[in-house]
Amino acid sequence: MVQGTLEMLILKTLALEPMHGYGVSVRIEQVSSGIFRINPGSLLPALSRMERAGHVRSEWRATENNRRAKYYMLTAKGRKALASETEQWDRQAAAIRRILEA
Amino acid sequence: MNLLTNLFRGLRSLFGKRRVDRELDEELAAFVEASAADKQRHGMSREAAQRAARVEVGSAGAVKHQVWSSRWESVPDNFFQDIRFALRQLIKSPGFTTIAILSLMLGIGANTAIFTLLNVILLRPLPVQNPKELLLFGDGRASGSTGSIPDGSWRLFSYSFYRDFRAKDVSFSGVAAISSSQFHTKASIAGGAYQTTQVDLVSGSFFNVLGVPAFLGRTIGESDDATAGAAPVAVASYTWFQRHFNGDTAALGKVIRIQSHDYTLVGVARPGFTGISVGQPADLWIPLSMEKEISPGWNGLDNKFFQSLYLIGRLKPGVTAAQASSETNVLFKQIVRSYMGAQPSAQHLDDLAHASVELTPGAHGVSRLRGKFSSPLMILMAIVALVLLIACANIANMLLARGVNRTREVAVRMAVGATRRRIVVQLLTESLLLALLGAAAGMALAWKASALLLHMATPGPEPIPLDVHPDLAVLAYTLGVTVITALLFGMLPAFRATGLEFTPALKDGRGSSSVSTRGALARSLIVGQVALSVLLLVVAGLFVRSLINLASIDTGFDKHNALVFSLDSSTANLPHKTPDEIRSVRLQEQIESRVQTIPGVQADSFAFFTFNQGGWSDQVLFQGVTRTPHNGEDVFFNNVGNGFFSAMGIPLVAGRTFTANDTQTSPKVAVINETMARRFFPDGWAIGKRFAIGEAPDHPGEIEVIGIVKDAKYTALNEGTLMGAYFPCTQQVGFYGNFVVRYAPGANRSEIISRTRAAVAQINPNILLNSVTSLEEQVDGSIATQSLIARLSSFFGIVAVFLACIGIYGLLSYSVARRTSELGIRVALGARSGALLWMILRESLLLLALGLTVGASVAVGSTRILKSLLYELSPLDPMAMAISIAVVAVMTLAAAWLPAHRATRIEPMQALRTE
Repeated sequence: MVQGTLEMLILKTLALEPMHGYGVSVRIEQVSSGIFRINPGSLLPALSRMERAGHVRSEWRATENNRRAKYYMLTAKGRKALASETEQWDRQAAAIRRILEA
Repeated sequence: MNLLTNLFRGLRSLFGKRRVDRELDEELAAFVEASAADKQRHGMSREAAQRAARVEVGSAGAVKHQVWSSRWESVPDNFFQDIRFALRQLIKSPGFTTIAILSLMLGIGANTAIFTLLNVILLRPLPVQNPKELLLFGDGRASGSTGSIPDGSWRLFSYSFYRDFRAKDVSFSGVAAISSSQFHTKASIAGGAYQTTQVDLVSGSFFNVLGVPAFLGRTIGESDDATAGAAPVAVASYTWFQRHFNGDTAALGKVIRIQSHDYTLVGVARPGFTGISVGQPADLWIPLSMEKEISPGWNGLDNKFFQSLYLIGRLKPGVTAAQASSETNVLFKQIVRSYMGAQPSAQHLDDLAHASVELTPGAHGVSRLRGKFSSPLMILMAIVALVLLIACANIANMLLARGVNRTREVAVRMAVGATRRRIVVQLLTESLLLALLGAAAGMALAWKASALLLHMATPGPEPIPLDVHPDLAVLAYTLGVTVITALLFGMLPAFRATGLEFTPALKDGRGSSSVSTRGALARSLIVGQVALSVLLLVVAGLFVRSLINLASIDTGFDKHNALVFSLDSSTANLPHKTPDEIRSVRLQEQIESRVQTIPGVQADSFAFFTFNQGGWSDQVLFQGVTRTPHNGEDVFFNNVGNGFFSAMGIPLVAGRTFTANDTQTSPKVAVINETMARRFFPDGWAIGKRFAIGEAPDHPGEIEVIGIVKDAKYTALNEGTLMGAYFPCTQQVGFYGNFVVRYAPGANRSEIISRTRAAVAQINPNILLNSVTSLEEQVDGSIATQSLIARLSSFFGIVAVFLACIGIYGLLSYSVARRTSELGIRVALGARSGALLWMILRESLLLLALGLTVGASVAVGSTRILKSLLYELSPLDPMAMAISIAVVAVMTLAAAWLPAHRATRIEPMQALRTE
């Protein structure tokens, strides 16, 4: 996982729909074709940090298996953070690519 | 908003930690459940899916810890946790905790107590506006007055000088003058009873220059100080005002009667301000223009050479102290030169050429305590700092030993993921907690101790009015000392404990790799402790030996069985400086003869001075004797009653003492001491010879020597041999407030006091009795500082040795316990107990020898700084050195012998079983 990108990936994942922790981790693993695996030891602290920063909020809902789970969803502030982080990432990635191809 | 929410949520989760914990648990469980369900969907059996999911998630505790420590509230939470844990650890080993807290209490308490005094006497600035701008003329050490021109540095100035200087100077925005001697007098408020009151005479500029506003009414102003005798007004200190008027504003305008003159109370100064003299707070301030009325017989308003005033000035903005100093010295010489008239003597001009004024920082005012106590306090400060250092070394050693025992605990915690930093912080928290507990106890100790120290340092009927309660500066100091202490003794063991390789530690429960380094460290700490103890004991020994030397000085008078009464005639309305003044002498003679009849009284007499009460000296000139450097020194004078020599127990060597026939009209006579007789008449007979007072006396040869007495100490025990002359009160009229009463050995002292009191009251009820001491107390009081230092340094020296002993005992006990099995095997193989004892003792003997060598060499190198404080004793005194080395050696050997002896008693079978 590239340093400092975990929160961006979580934001992006949550931008589609509210999800619980396991859902986030599975979704990231699937979309990245198994390259990124995020265990709860990194995921939950990141979610907690983002919730404290006001980028996501959480509520307890019933899962498809009828259990209680904590669902996280993006806030307006989180949406803004995602936009700016994505833009920054694009700029950096483009720059890195240019350097590599030079 | 976000910050606030963050803070709010943080606090909520801090206080609702259990709820947050439960939610996390639940979230994790849901995670595992979801993961397992997923795996089951992909074809795993239910059990296998559950197991795989749990493995994937890992330790729930670790995850929770990670979540928790990503939040700010984990910092205070960890802190509280550390404190709880530290408390549990301390409670678990009560022996260690008690010893540590006790030694810290002593160490920190002693430091705080000494610092409290240091702060009050040397550091705390006056409660005035911008104290840093104030400059004192001279170093503030002098008191009293002289009539001639001192060469060298001037400390006191005349009223004329103050006025003339002020008119010309441009460096100061204001200059204030304060009488150097405070008037210890009696005052009556609105016709009430007379009460002891301290009066400071000050110039009209005083309050303005210092920037001290009135709390009530007004302060003294320039107009009050314009015309002599025209401004009978007084300003009270806040404490005095509270004491006498309870804060009642009706006090303004009240009449205060002092020395048969009435003063109107016009104001109260700001709370906390008690004048510029530390240790001598003023009750009332009165304008200098009233000097004649306040001090009958001592009026210096018109005398250009009556140097009795302290001057203190406030620098103008932008003027440096150096500029002010050069301007002051130019003006000073001009003004003093103008006082000498058109044809000054060569002597005066020479004196003036050497004269100067040194400007010193005035922020701390003046204080006779400062001169007396600065070096003793500094030395005591150094001593208690060393004691604290020893205590730290001891605790560090104990912690090191515990650290080894706790190796396993630390290893386990590191293995389950605690970082090294976290554990160091935790161990330091434990040290800090220990230090804080010790500091709290020490603070309580210091609270009592500083008042006690002050009382020990300045014994007397009345305590020195100093506020020795710990203030913010003291609290800050103690806190600083505490933190440094905690770091000193906590840092090393904490790093040592966490710097272990933990695989072997986990295996055998001992930090095997760290044992040898710990040993080296512990051993060097012990060497340091022994060395410091030797140093402290040598210092203590020097002070004690010096005190013994001082106390065994022959005073020349008999200090036993003699009381000294201090009488105050200020309310008796006695005439001063009039032909009628002889009434005072009659009154004294009446008291003397009345008290003489009290059963048990052997002799009594009034006197100007008894011992250590100040002095009056001048040169004398004998008819027909040329002046030599030897006899040209000052002679110390005293005016005494007829019974003085018997009352003081000063033996007559030749001639006679005063009798009733020596009256105001008879020829003037004097009794001189042996030194004076010998210096003027090295091989002759002094009796019958005539002398006069002064460098060039007005009445040559008017005083006849009628007797010679043994030398008696005058101002201090350690003064050199002084020339002394005594004059009869009848020929130097005045009321002399010191009254000596010698009683028969075994007579009831308190009965003599009450009967004397009654006799005085019968003769004149307006003569007030200020205090009663004994000659012995006066002598002891004169060396109170030395005795205080000797007592305290001995006490701390013993404490230091004691701490070092605990250190050695602890080290050896531990090493014996650790080697139990080895020693057991040795015993089983037939080692003799003597050999075992030697084997164990050998190590401590080596440490002891090293410590003694280091300590003794440091002592040899450093005690020289004490030279000025020692009386007739070399700072390398071999006796003090030998005694301290012996004491430290015996004590530490005893401490080492106990565990060594225990080692020889080891049962082989039991020893082998312990492994």
